[in-house]
Amino acid sequence: MELLANLALGLETAITPVNLFYCFAGVFLGTFVGVIPGVGPLAAISMLFPITFYLDPTAALIMLAGIYYGTTYGGSTASILLNIPGATSAAVTCLDGYPMAQQGRAGVALFMTTIASFVGGSFGIVILSLFSPVIAEYALTFGPAEYFSLMVLGLVAASTIANASPSRGLSMVVLGMLVATVGTDSQSGVARFTFGSMSLLEGFGISAMAMGLFGIGEILSSVGATRSAKIDSSSAKMRNMLPSRDDWRRSWMPGLRGSSIGAFFGALPGTGPSIAAFMAYAVEKRVSDTPERFGHGAIEGIVAPETANNAADQTAFIPTLTLGIPGSATMALMLGALMVHGIQPGPTLIVEQPALFWGLVMSFWIGNLILLVLNLPLIGIWVRLLLVPYHYLYPAILVFVCIGAYSVRANAADVAMVLAFGVLGYVMRIAQLPAAPLLLGFVLGPLVETQFRRAMVLARGDFTAILERPIAGTVIAISVLMLVWGLGGAMLRRRRKILDTRHQKSVGG
Amino acid sequence: MKKIIAAAIGAALSTTVAFAQGNYPSGPVTIIVPYGTGGSTDLTARAVAIELEKIWNSPVVVVNKKGAGSMIGTTEVTQAAPDGLTLLLNTAAITTAPAIQSDLKFDPVKDITPISLLITSPYVLVGGANVKSNDFSGFLEEAQTRPMFMGTAGPGSSSHFMSELVILGANLPADVVHFSGGGEAQTNMMGGHSDTYISTTASVMPYVNDGRVKALAVLANKRFPLLPDVQASGEAGVKGVDIEGWVALFGPGGMDPALADQINADFAKAMATDSMQKLLTDNYALAGDLSPAEFWVVYERDLKIWKDLAEKRGIGK
Repeated sequence: MELLANLALGLETAITPVNLFYCFAGVFLGTFVGVIPGVGPLAAISMLFPITFYLDPTAALIMLAGIYYGTTYGGSTASILLNIPGATSAAVTCLDGYPMAQQGRAGVALFMTTIASFVGGSFGIVILSLFSPVIAEYALTFGPAEYFSLMVLGLVAASTIANASPSRGLSMVVLGMLVATVGTDSQSGVARFTFGSMSLLEGFGISAMAMGLFGIGEILSSVGATRSAKIDSSSAKMRNMLPSRDDWRRSWMPGLRGSSIGAFFGALPGTGPSIAAFMAYAVEKRVSDTPERFGHGAIEGIVAPETANNAADQTAFIPTLTLGIPGSATMALMLGALMVHGIQPGPTLIVEQPALFWGLVMSFWIGNLILLVLNLPLIGIWVRLLLVPYHYLYPAILVFVCIGAYSVRANAADVAMVLAFGVLGYVMRIAQLPAAPLLLGFVLGPLVETQFRRAMVLARGDFTAILERPIAGTVIAISVLMLVWGLGGAMLRRRRKILDTRHQKSVGG
Repeated sequence: MKKIIAAAIGAALSTTVAFAQGNYPSGPVTIIVPYGTGGSTDLTARAVAIELEKIWNSPVVVVNKKGAGSMIGTTEVTQAAPDGLTLLLNTAAITTAPAIQSDLKFDPVKDITPISLLITSPYVLVGGANVKSNDFSGFLEEAQTRPMFMGTAGPGSSSHFMSELVILGANLPADVVHFSGGGEAQTNMMGGHSDTYISTTASVMPYVNDGRVKALAVLANKRFPLLPDVQASGEAGVKGVDIEGWVALFGPGGMDPALADQINADFAKAMATDSMQKLLTDNYALAGDLSPAEFWVVYERDLKIWKDLAEKRGIGK
């Protein structure tokens, strides 16, 4: 009953006209930012952060959070229509969203992602309000060994995401990990591969890499290509958007699994919506009876990641608000908004600032409802935004991307890095190497290394001590099984193919 | 005509020494914070900027230039003119970072003018779930039977250097484990994965107060007046670890001493206001009261301590 009283208090706070206005402003802005490729939530929130100095902390947080989860709603639109993720968390949605658009089912894809986003978001909010204290306590039992094992699982899963051969996926994961070794060594403080450059001490920025690989890479490859943006604006009509009964039937289990995976990874610091989306997609492909449909417009392939990233968006607030640990740079900004007003985020926040905490939680509900209402009829407008001819849209995006890259650290070198990663992304496209595993390797690589080295110090150099920890040992065992299964499966398929072709030859000959 | 020229020269001359007559600042003042928005240094800067605007009747802009353990923002200040219009607010990181970063583009002694020690607070050694003892003496004994893991906010951070200093000073059987930031170091300690963490009062006291970690020692020769119940390291017979944590103001190298004195006095006025005093009490910290010359001595002493320690313990090698 205490929960109900808390939710009532939260609703009271969230429903004041001022807070409603900032909630609406946040989610609207977030959707807009999400639709435009290259400008992610981090860039948008960074740019708007100074506003919070003039706002009440609750209103400020409601707006910033609105931008954050609004972006995830909007991010899938560009993924589906242009094959460019509007935000990194929507990168996976490209894999099946774009093929759906090519099959003339863009409207259905957009409709389903909105519904999936709403379902995932709602699931995340329920978890957030029910389990905040419990999960916060549970997170403490996760030490370096446990995180290391989870990251290994993530990497193994990552190499099976791409539709390319496992060897290509795996090599891109490794390349991503290698790129991530640039910067200050996490355990000794020694500069690695920086060649005396100050701006490389922090390593390559994730935003620079994502914007470059996915944003600029796409723009570069569209230059000279005669391909025109084939967006059928009629696909955004309500009639063409309604999913078939078969779509619904296929979607509800992936939605449920996606929500759970998303809620789990969102609550773990250092993972977040992008990884949640990757994982949900990988799991869906694994459990599917028809994995070959993935990458060719399988509706499960958009529902799972979209529920996962939205659920993760909401549960990411659990470690941030209950422990004061930001799981990502964006969450760090949320913490900053609190601290600007002298509120110390941490285990005491829920008790000391119940109106703020529960008001924020309730504003998530309202924000998600607004997004649902806003997105279904407004998809037409977002589509029209993307119908702007490329020769107007792309230079504008380039400018946005450069501003965004610069805004993160106010460092001109970051802009150059974005452009360099853009060239890399272009080259990889020509060589048909998948970019998503590269990005995941880049994100997970340093985490694996850092957590492994920490775990080894804490085990005083005895690797078996890591395997003896129940959670860590189990997860590592699962990872090994997955790897064997994946590689074994690929080898079997290959052998069968060779046998088949031989058979055909012998029959034909 | 000659009169006009003479008057013009006179006017020009008088402006060059204007700061000494209280005409500083001649324009908007930029305070560079070498950390991200929302951190404790940033909050201090923003709060003090509000008070300074009232004192100076001139805009004060806080700019965040984070990265490379505060060295990116610091480097930028060293390249500015020493006219007092570009200032730097940094923590003790400005003395620890040069001890391990070999790629610095400035000389930490020549290219920086220490101006004002704004906030001081002692370093506190806190223990987590696995530590059984409740004070420093007990902790030292416990470590003899079970070697400790001292968590830090990262290599080269002040928590790292202080941990190394305690290992050396107390001859403590312990290993250092690096986490990514103080938040992670503290939660790993709460979860019993590591044993201790050292930081200033502002970062550890919220967790000490809600009982999730315990304050084992104040790293000083005598007890800290605001935390009378916490044992001082000196009481347990451990010497050479009595370093204070601080937030301080710096300018580019070669600043006129009179200008530095003036800025020091203006900041002291700002620190004496009610809002700044409240910020200090909330964080269990004290306002510093050193002149630029006195602070310079502390600054150079700390630079040397960390450099020697880095060599002795092989930090950054």
